[in-house]
Amino acid sequence: MGKSNLFVNGTKGDKAIVLGNEAIARGALEAGIGYASMYPGTPASEIIAVLDKNKSSIENLYTEFSLNEHISLHGAIGASWSGIRSLCAMKNVGLNVASEPAQFLSYTGVKAGLVLAIGSDPGAPSSSNEQDDRWYSLHNYMPIMEPSNIQEAKDFTKDAFDISEKFSFGVVLMAPSRLCHNAGTLYFGDLRDRSEIKGDFKKDPENYLNLFGMAVRNHAKYLERNELLKKYLIESKFNKIINGSSSKIGFISSGVVYAHLMESLDILGVYDHKILKLGFTFPLPGELIGRFFEGLDKVVIVEEAEGFLEFQIKKIAYELGFKGAIYGKEFFKQTGELTIDDVIVGISNFFEKPLPSYFDFAVKKDKELRDKLPQRSGTFCIGCPHRATFYSILKAVGFSNTEGKEREAVIAGDIGCYTLGLLPPYNAMDFLTCMNAGLGIGQAISIFDKQKKVIALVGDSTFYHSGIPVLLNAVQNGSDILYVILDNSWTAMTGHQKTPSTQKDIDGKPSANVLNLKDLVKSLGVSYVKSLDPNSVKRFASQIKSALKEPGVKVIIAKRECILQEARRNKILNKKGSGFAEAGESLYEIQKSRCVKCNECFVELACPAIILKKDEETGNDYYYIDPASCVKCGVCCEICPNSAIRKVEFDLKTEFKLRQRAEIKSAEEVPNEVRINV
Amino acid sequence: MKKFNIAIVGLGGQGIITMGTVMKNAALSSDLQDVSGSERRGGAQREGYVETFVKYIFYENESEMKDPRKSMHSPMIESGGADALISLEPLETLRGACYINKNSIVIFNKTPYIPISVRMGQTSYPEISFIVSELMKITENIFYYDFDAISLENFNSLTQKNIIALGALFAKAVIPIEIAAIENILKIGKGSENNLKAFKLGLKL
Ligand code: SF4
Ligand code: SF4
Repeated sequence: MGKSNLFVNGTKGDKAIVLGNEAIARGALEAGIGYASMYPGTPASEIIAVLDKNKSSIENLYTEFSLNEHISLHGAIGASWSGIRSLCAMKNVGLNVASEPAQFLSYTGVKAGLVLAIGSDPGAPSSSNEQDDRWYSLHNYMPIMEPSNIQEAKDFTKDAFDISEKFSFGVVLMAPSRLCHNAGTLYFGDLRDRSEIKGDFKKDPENYLNLFGMAVRNHAKYLERNELLKKYLIESKFNKIINGSSSKIGFISSGVVYAHLMESLDILGVYDHKILKLGFTFPLPGELIGRFFEGLDKVVIVEEAEGFLEFQIKKIAYELGFKGAIYGKEFFKQTGELTIDDVIVGISNFFEKPLPSYFDFAVKKDKELRDKLPQRSGTFCIGCPHRATFYSILKAVGFSNTEGKEREAVIAGDIGCYTLGLLPPYNAMDFLTCMNAGLGIGQAISIFDKQKKVIALVGDSTFYHSGIPVLLNAVQNGSDILYVILDNSWTAMTGHQKTPSTQKDIDGKPSANVLNLKDLVKSLGVSYVKSLDPNSVKRFASQIKSALKEPGVKVIIAKRECILQEARRNKILNKKGSGFAEAGESLYEIQKSRCVKCNECFVELACPAIILKKDEETGNDYYYIDPASCVKCGVCCEICPNSAIRKVEFDLKTEFKLRQRAEIKSAEEVPNEVRINV
Repeated sequence: MKKFNIAIVGLGGQGIITMGTVMKNAALSSDLQDVSGSERRGGAQREGYVETFVKYIFYENESEMKDPRKSMHSPMIESGGADALISLEPLETLRGACYINKNSIVIFNKTPYIPISVRMGQTSYPEISFIVSELMKITENIFYYDFDAISLENFNSLTQKNIIALGALFAKAVIPIEIAAIENILKIGKGSENNLKAFKLGLKL
């Protein structure tokens, strides 16, 4: 491989293993984009991250991590109107925020191609809902493309720009997390010449001005363009009919679910039915659907969520007078991710065929096992400042797992890494919905329920996203609430993008134009503003306590950088001290003799580096700080009520050998290998 | 068309995604080979369950590769569809056991990471013997080691356990990918020396 960076330099004939998100970005690059932006959000983040990371080696490329999706899509529109092909990416719920620019985009149209890549998240592994954004297109008229694999993710994105220009729509490229985070083979195409990318805004009042009659005219224009696009899509390469044999049954599907469908049919050995693969799921041309219906008396629509395709296709079937039966949600569930298992089961049920025996056995065995397995949920990283923040807040409001004490205060949650605080052992949120709902809902609760203290939590990035007007609103309308801004300097959850108040970059360079969060909050009219390090848990907890006694809006900034970023920077700058431990350093240790197992560190703080071990001689359990995991934040040492935790000089290697020997002994009853045949 | 499916499971932060990436990159040499498979990663969640799939596809000929009924592959592995399962955490092996069948090879790491529910005393962590006996009800090809210990012993850190486990897979199962192809991938990038050493350690298990 002569080219060191295929993402930037790859040309036709090259191939590589590429992540779905990177394939989308590469498609945009092949199409010659000059603008790329997003507000970071899982599962879509890498789409813009990979472009941003490589921008110094890509001519004429502007990238931006915008403060929110509304701004980001508007930015893409501005670039498009300046003649620059633009890519905007966001997660599913991002479109709620960007729905306003999206609505207007069809009215005004684009100049240079504009693609909106949306990472949907069925099953919500990284989101607070699993909404299917395709429904937006029924009223904003954005055409939707749904690639099924890595190759299509690139190819469709590239083509989407041409279609966007041809029909003057912003085109949605829909990719569920299964595709965003799928990695597979990608064959590259050629890149466009980038030297000519240059902005030139030309006035176009007929399209860009929307008011009164002008808006009505633009409305009519986009309905017309939509009809033209429908015509184009009858014969396009994106929608494909695969003919069957004499069967009168047909399947319709799109996107990743289409990939599940094709593999399921192969697994079940079913090859003789007609199939319609929809590359475009909006708009759907009646004529294409009519052609597919020919010769069929049963049509099965295989798709995720509530049935966006079924909704449209049933309408078309009615208009065409199709006499056959159309099935969909009878066989495929509406909630959660539609997995390949769901598709196999749905198809077997439809044909009333038994499931393959190996599959059936595995499903049954899994059901039987699931109930016996302890649940496992994610938690904060070891040394994460959020853990200390939650611990302090909970202590300040009287919560204790060990003593079975409920907290008195209402705690409003919000979106970010700190959302994990709603999980056990903290259970530190009473509601969680969308970005900045915490303070928005909390400030009203504080007005109507005067008996309870209300605390609202927010991360730095989430606050900048859309929290400023909410805070201003709370101040202006006399709510009585404690607002804790967990400022870890980064948009950490989505891969550590900078925020306006990130002071130092990962290489130690100071950032330009750094915002002072405390000053900003003050300028919004908050007189009670404190900023302190949450890892000083005692001080932090008492600050919370005294703030709760004050009337009005109080703001406490929990200021400490994300431990991962701090450790990375230290590694880059080759600094020792804080961050991940190495042999021969000073470490924290629990003195067995002093520890009374009060559970303050093990359950209440629940740092994962504090683990349970068995004493070989006595057979008793004891708490132990795993030196290979502990990052020496010192929080446990501060909270231990019995001064059982101390800092010591430690030799990691010797310690581990000892631990090893003990473990081998305890595992002796089971042979180390159980091998019958291969 | 032949397929070979590998499911890799464990916890966030254990290097599971990297294992998948290495395995996939080793399959780029022939045009009739294809690879797919998704990762499940929920944001920056540490210590949560993570899985990644590696699906190797070997086409008989060019026309099969172009056949739309054969050339589209799900990014997921169906229940019972994995030829091999690697797990970097003992309990999670059982969560990943939905992917295996009676012929599958299972490689798992013996070092437990205790979930919060166990910490809080609501549930208990299963014994290794229970995990093995449950797996034995599905397949007899089970191998387990303390990859944490091997990594710490040889590298003074836990970070190489994933590549050691990868070596163990190649030592115990017949994988339709050349060992040299994996080594060629491990040679690229930073930490190549440690990665190659870790892989060789695994191969000797
Ligand atoms: S080390 Fe201290 S805080 Fe932790 S359980 Fe023992 S006595 Fe309690
Ligand atoms: S010092 Fe204590 S709280 Fe901090 S990482 Fe180590 S064990 Fe965890």
